[in-house]
Order: sequence, then C-alpha cells, then structure tokens
Amino acid sequence: MVWVAAELSNLTGIRDFVRKSVRSLGAGPALVDDLILAVDESVANIIVHGYRGQPGEIEIEVRKDGADFVVAVRDQAPPFDPTRVLPPDLTLPLEQRPLGGLGIYLTRQTVDHVMHRVTRDGGNELTLVKKAS
Amino acid sequence: MNLTIKQIQDSGRLAMISVQGDLDRSNYQELVARARELHDQGIEQMLLDLSQTSFLSSSGLVAIHSVALLMQGEQPSDPEHGWAAIHAVGNASASGRQQRVKLLNPQARVKRTLVQAGLDQFFEIHSDLEAALSSF
Repeated sequence: MVWVAAELSNLTGIRDFVRKSVRSLGAGPALVDDLILAVDESVANIIVHGYRGQPGEIEIEVRKDGADFVVAVRDQAPPFDPTRVLPPDLTLPLEQRPLGGLGIYLTRQTVDHVMHRVTRDGGNELTLVKKAS
Repeated sequence: MNLTIKQIQDSGRLAMISVQGDLDRSNYQELVARARELHDQGIEQMLLDLSQTSFLSSSGLVAIHSVALLMQGEQPSDPEHGWAAIHAVGNASASGRQQRVKLLNPQARVKRTLVQAGLDQFFEIHSDLEAALSSF
C-alpha cells in the first residue's frame, strides 16, 4: 500500500508502484500494462476533477483476491462515482458521442470490473479488478 | 518525457517529433506546445514517432488530436473534455483519415490504446520511416 500527494507529478511513481506490485503477485506483461493504464486514468481524474488542484492524498492498495488482481484507490475528494458515466455508443460517429468520459472509457476497456463506494469518512474508494485469464 | 524535433528539409512544411518516455496527464501539454511552435514556424504536416513512447494515457490521445487540429490551422478543444477534444478531428476527417498527422511505429501497448479509443480510424499508423515520410 502507498500514500501519495494528489499531484500529477506523482503519476510516474504511481505507475512504477503498480508495475512492481502486480508483477510481484505474478501478473504477466499484458495484465500489468492494463492495470497501469486503468490506475493512471483513475488517479489522474481524482487529482484533476476530484481534488481540483487542492492539496490531498491518494491511497493505493494492490492485492490478489483469488485469481483476480485488485487495485483499490482511495481519496478524500468530494464523492464522485465514475462508474455512473455512461459508456459511449461506439456505433455512433465520434462527433455524436457524449462529452467527457474518455479516461473512464479506457479504464473499462482495460479491466474487468470497476466499482465505487463512498467510504465511512465520506471519501471515495474505487476498486479495479482484472481477472488473471 | 523528452521530445526530439527533426524538420524534414525536402518539403519545409513537414516535421517529425519523436516522443520518448511516458506521455501522460502531467506532460501532454508539452507536446501540444511544441506542435504549436512548429505550426507558427510554417509546419503543416507532422510525423509523430512513437517508437520510444513507453506509455500513452487518454491525455496523450487528446494531445495527438490537438496536434492534428493545429496542423489543420484550428485551435484544439479544451483537453479536459475528453471525447469532445476528439470530436473536432472526427468532423474534420469525416471522409476518412486526416492526412496532416501520421504516426510511426507505436509499441504494442501504445498501439492498443490508440485502437481501444478508435483513433486508428483517423490516423495512419506506419511501421517504416521512409514509407511514412513519402506518404505525405
């Protein structure tokens, strides 16, 4: 588990932490890459849209749950559930897709489950689950 | 991230930017700024060498689209609007892939991100430098 200041300059370190942690749990290269992208998108959105440039902290936990690789991202920014952002209809031309949501779209593309809950102290917990196979 | 710029002398309008390292939310505006400087100097076509780009996030995708808009003489949308920033290029290239910006040799991880977002519909992706340059 790691705690980092909610600053964009920490994204590289966060990706390194996820890479090392997931590798140490036995993940292959493709799975590692997918989780790194999903975590990067999630953390960047928390920094930019959650904390909005204000000081804050983000906690990242990497674990294995059975055969699943799980990353939990926790913050104290105002509650926001990114899973409620509707997925784009990819049958539509680009110009007709809804605004926003590119980061959460990529997150959904790269992991199997994205879950959000408001924590007891009013913060956010985003859980990203990637199946091993 | 490091950006290396090479102006292609044959045309005077074509330049290549090599993006080395990770292109993410913390630095994507550097790429847009360099493209803007080059456009101000008369560059209208751009080959983006992604062979040494080790990571590409959605911000990197928006940056690539912003470069395409700049080369077309348009102003990029607010990059925080995500898909909205990409709409403009989609509009500009309704008849197929736009021809002002092309991509060279993205690594598998980066190429996968481009495909997942559907951007390969709007950018030619080349694997050979000479072929890429002669395609302009």
